[in-house]
Amino acid sequence: MDNPQFDATLGGEEHLPFSVNSFKFTASRSIEIAAMSESILRPSKTKLIFQTLPVHMRRRVMSHNCKRLPRRLREGHLEQLKKSGLPPKQKRPSRKYRRRPANLLNEYNRRQKRNIWLETHIWHAKRFHMVERWGYRLADRPCDKAFRACYRASSAHCLLQDVSYYTPIQITGPIELIGEIFDCITNKSCGLSVTAKAYTGGNRRGNIDIYNPNAYPFGYVGKIQFLWITKENCNKELWLFIHPSQIKQIELLLSNLINPYSENLPTEHIKKKRKLTNKFSDIKINILSKAFNMFRLTGPKSQAILNSTIKCIKTLNQANDSWLAQIRNTSSLYLEEKIDYWENAKLSNSPALLPPNVVIGLIIKDPRLSRPSYRTKAQNNSPEDVNVVKLINSPSYLSHSPIWDTRLHEHIKKKLMTNGQFIELITKTQLVPGEINEDDPALQYVPVVLIQRPGSQNPNSKKLGYGSGWDIIVPAGYGIPFWQTLVMFGGRAGGLRETESMAFEMGENFLPPDSEAGSLEEKRIEQQLRERYFRRPPSKRVNYQKLGINSPFICPWRILLSDWSGNNVNDLYVMRDRKLLELLQDCLTKKAVPNIDNADACLVPVCLHMENKGNLKQHALICLPQSDDLQTIKTLYEPLHEDKNEKLRKQKRKQHLQLLKQMKRKRRKIKKSGCQIKNVKKIINREPSEYVKSMRELWLPSNITTVRNTCLRPVLGYVCKGDFSFTEAKSVGVGYIALNGLIELIKTGLNKVLIRNTSSRKYRIAKIVLIKTE
Amino acid sequence: MADENITGKKQESKNTKRLMTHKNYAFKKRLPVRPIDGNNVIFVTKKTNFKAQLDKCCDLLTRGEKEIILHGLGAAIQRCCNLALQLEILFSGTCQIEVNTGTVDLVDDLEPLVDDLDFGSQVRHSSSIHIRIFRTAMLGSNQ
Repeated sequence: MDNPQFDATLGGEEHLPFSVNSFKFTASRSIEIAAMSESILRPSKTKLIFQTLPVHMRRRVMSHNCKRLPRRLREGHLEQLKKSGLPPKQKRPSRKYRRRPANLLNEYNRRQKRNIWLETHIWHAKRFHMVERWGYRLADRPCDKAFRACYRASSAHCLLQDVSYYTPIQITGPIELIGEIFDCITNKSCGLSVTAKAYTGGNRRGNIDIYNPNAYPFGYVGKIQFLWITKENCNKELWLFIHPSQIKQIELLLSNLINPYSENLPTEHIKKKRKLTNKFSDIKINILSKAFNMFRLTGPKSQAILNSTIKCIKTLNQANDSWLAQIRNTSSLYLEEKIDYWENAKLSNSPALLPPNVVIGLIIKDPRLSRPSYRTKAQNNSPEDVNVVKLINSPSYLSHSPIWDTRLHEHIKKKLMTNGQFIELITKTQLVPGEINEDDPALQYVPVVLIQRPGSQNPNSKKLGYGSGWDIIVPAGYGIPFWQTLVMFGGRAGGLRETESMAFEMGENFLPPDSEAGSLEEKRIEQQLRERYFRRPPSKRVNYQKLGINSPFICPWRILLSDWSGNNVNDLYVMRDRKLLELLQDCLTKKAVPNIDNADACLVPVCLHMENKGNLKQHALICLPQSDDLQTIKTLYEPLHEDKNEKLRKQKRKQHLQLLKQMKRKRRKIKKSGCQIKNVKKIINREPSEYVKSMRELWLPSNITTVRNTCLRPVLGYVCKGDFSFTEAKSVGVGYIALNGLIELIKTGLNKVLIRNTSSRKYRIAKIVLIKTE
Repeated sequence: MADENITGKKQESKNTKRLMTHKNYAFKKRLPVRPIDGNNVIFVTKKTNFKAQLDKCCDLLTRGEKEIILHGLGAAIQRCCNLALQLEILFSGTCQIEVNTGTVDLVDDLEPLVDDLDFGSQVRHSSSIHIRIFRTAMLGSNQ
């Protein structure tokens, strides 16, 4: 019976068919395939689904939380759980999750009502501590404590900052009239005027100090950046870039100058202004907040990062492109000439090699097209050397850019491809999904303007080229694409803390005390420090009265100046006259004092370098040394002062405790008697009570009348910002001293001063250098 | 490199003197062009501590670096030579020195101090030295 089942050709009985019916063939095997795939999806009892995953896809507590499994396996997993008897328990979503708004965009828009957000806000909010400043919500410092890393980035790599909060103001009108306006609010002794020949060409960006009209040297407003733009019909426009702390003041100031009738001016001024009205009415001011994004790159590697980010276009082959089609005269774009210049500039390994403050307008491809898929560090290792001679001068066509044409902004915005659209484009329509074609015609070209910042230009005072970099101006809407590309090429992002620390490293003061913004900033810092001080328990507080310091959290400039001048000083100013500053600096060695007007109300900015040990801190006192102090500095201590309020404080505290005890007793009595206290609403009072206020007054008396002679040596001035400086490798401070005090110092023939921190009795020596603002 | 610049030098130097003495300009310096940077490239300056740089070079050589390159510009040439000679003594017999000299074009910016002048700039030349120190025998190294 057992016939071997052989093929017929081998003598068996099995006959093979001559042809195979593929339908039949697969149909008969479909059951097998189904069974196989079934067993893969729902395997036999020996292995659970999550155990079948490859190692790199396994996650912790996968069996408990099905959300950790890939979605396609979840169903099978849940079934398995059911089989094994464990009821699949669903955790209640977290409170945070449940309270998340249904419409995130609406929520974002609501939150932007109080403070303005920058375009990169959400990127920053995820990684930075945000603060409210000047009506904006700005990034203060990165969450990863990267203070030193940010310094290193600014000196050796590239530090990125979003400074889009600078508000552009467009001023159109005849150039002579604009010059006349600016003559009232600026002064020639502080530097070049707005209409200087060096700037009107539009090739360089300038800085200028703004004062209230005809108030120089008082009434300082702030330092602004300006740029002249030449339009197609040879008309000139002035663009100002203004820090948000000064924008309101400057806006008011300019509009008052142009239409003096709109404001109630003092009667004496009106006569003068009436004449001017007709003259200045041709000038138009246009405040274009949120028209641009401005990114600040600092450090030598910023050149390499820009090189990789910016891909210039050579020809205008996007014929249907809406915003380029608007430009009538395409030869005015100077595409080829600019590329020629930029290709040479690209070879330089630091932006400090280029002409200072040079402005370059370029038209580039969308930055998303040049972005690397991983965060890489852009390097600049070209074998060719840069042709320095070619970079010496900047040709006049270099600064032309269509970005200044406000009519084009709408067109650019309309054609802008959002990030979502871009991702859809590259994943859905591209032949290889996710692959990026660098010459993608779907994305429009972008006009950008690059502005160089020279950094340190004097090797004697600071490392040459420290703080040099680029400012990029990008049209609105392109904030995030540019920012992300810059970050992906290895830039380190910084915030406001970095702006401050960079100003400090450069030896400048961020917001001078004679401006409104500066005094507001001082008050903010005082408030902050005061609150921190009183949050400590009394035993852990520094007793400033014993140390002879009467205002530890704010520098009392007015009292200081009154003390040194002998009469009451209400208005103060900081010396910015370059020639006078130079003269005074010479005086420190040559001992010949010039005669200066308004000396009573004048503060002189100084930079202090510690001679020996010691770390300078904020609000430290700058004191006048006596002739033998430099020899006996080791034993020079402030004697302990008497704290007159100590007894009072103790008494007061005792009384207060007694009062509390009485109250407690009373309450208990009422409770015992069974009297129901009617629902008395507990008043939650944010204000501290009278007792707390009076105690604080006893700790830090607020009515200071004199500061000059409160301690061992007369006080000359105060340190605004003091810290360890990485560029100097020692402790450095930036501060102000009264001019009369400086003259006194010059008489002693020393260029050294005594320094005492607010929390210490030790005097230390520091060298003094006057700051000449650039 | 040096030969190329000689022709232009005479004209420039005349020009330089005229501009530099001008009272209406502030004199600002730009960063000099840097040669290619690397782990084994050391720029000798007047400010850096001599001993620290010597230690750094020693460290590099003992760690097995085949060659190190020292660059010096202007007043730092002397320190650069000193450094190389010190290294030669320290690693006597195991390393050799190759010296190249050159000229570097430096650009200075002249910032106007009065309104009716434009920015100017001038090219200065400064001598430079490039010293290559390379190991001939790997005595005392870890590898």
